[in-house]
Amino acid sequence: MSNDFYISSILPYSGIIIKICRAYTDSQEDFEDYYQEVCLQIWRSRDKFRGDAKWSTWIYRLTLNICLTLIKKKKRHREHYDSDYKIQNEIVEDEHTFSDESLNLLYDAIKQLSEIDRAVILLYLEEKPNKEIADIIGVTPNNIGVRINRIKERLKKILDGKIN
Amino acid sequence: MEKSIESIWKEGFLDSNAMVAPKLNNLYNQKSIHIIDKFKRMFKINLIALVVFSFIILIVSFFSKIPVMGILMFILFNVIVIVNKRLFKGLNTIDKNVSSYEYLKSFDTWMKDQIAVNYKMSKYIYPYIFIALVSGFWFSNPFRETLNRLFGNYQPYMVFDVPVFWAIGMLLMVILLAIFGGRIYKWDLNIVYGHILKKLDELIADMEDLRA
Repeated sequence: MSNDFYISSILPYSGIIIKICRAYTDSQEDFEDYYQEVCLQIWRSRDKFRGDAKWSTWIYRLTLNICLTLIKKKKRHREHYDSDYKIQNEIVEDEHTFSDESLNLLYDAIKQLSEIDRAVILLYLEEKPNKEIADIIGVTPNNIGVRINRIKERLKKILDGKIN
Repeated sequence: MEKSIESIWKEGFLDSNAMVAPKLNNLYNQKSIHIIDKFKRMFKINLIALVVFSFIILIVSFFSKIPVMGILMFILFNVIVIVNKRLFKGLNTIDKNVSSYEYLKSFDTWMKDQIAVNYKMSKYIYPYIFIALVSGFWFSNPFRETLNRLFGNYQPYMVFDVPVFWAIGMLLMVILLAIFGGRIYKWDLNIVYGHILKKLDELIADMEDLRA
């Protein structure tokens, strides 16, 4: 990947990639691996961007797809090789943290959601309109509104009393 | 008062440290190691499978009263394993203390050499397998008895105790397999290692693109 491409086309949107990759990883090492893989795939797929959507939307979609693929691969690998594989939804202790404790708690709560719900809430928190979220996730906009409310309720329950 | 998740999100990311992107160092290091390790694992498993299969076929052939085939197949599979084990040793001599690009290029060179050796061998392997199969049946008593029952007193023209039409058919098949053995091997290789070889080519192409 050329330095120019990274600086001009990826770095301005690195915040998006960081936020998504953080939500799908439990360690700094995994986070860096996911981030690198996303950057690499953006660079490799750059010719497929036709300008139908905004570059940022395209990056969102690609980042989510790559994270979901990597998490599936990792799960398969763990199921195959690790007999101590932790079952889905079990809370895995997070090694990497933000300086803001509330944000850490919110991320921990988000990680307890299903993979698709994680994607939905991340996009919602990034203030993406329902139509765009629906477009990225591949469901109807009506469905997204209901889903967001349900996810927010779940997050509130998980965070209940933890954040003031 | 409890904060909303929206405000936690916004305020949390106001801190510039939360948005520091990791440096893209050694982008291909992990990938190179991963792809080569995966190949090594598959290669070892395939060699073990060949040894196991050679024993199974040997035992089954004795029970099925076609021991000639079993013995010939056993010899063949173990020769393939010995040759490939020697080739595999060459893979372990590749220096890992070089750049990812050089490491992958060395692996690619080893891979091409290995494929070339097996490609040449395949021109003999497939005809050999065919001969082993046919001989196995030809020298088995139950098969001869079945032929006798089917053809009765029909006595075709014989060459070295083999009916001439049988010999011509076999010869044609052996020639065809010798001609197409290499292609059959490439087809087989593609099924087993195609995915890894494609990834390897992509990685090297990426790296060459960067170096250009």
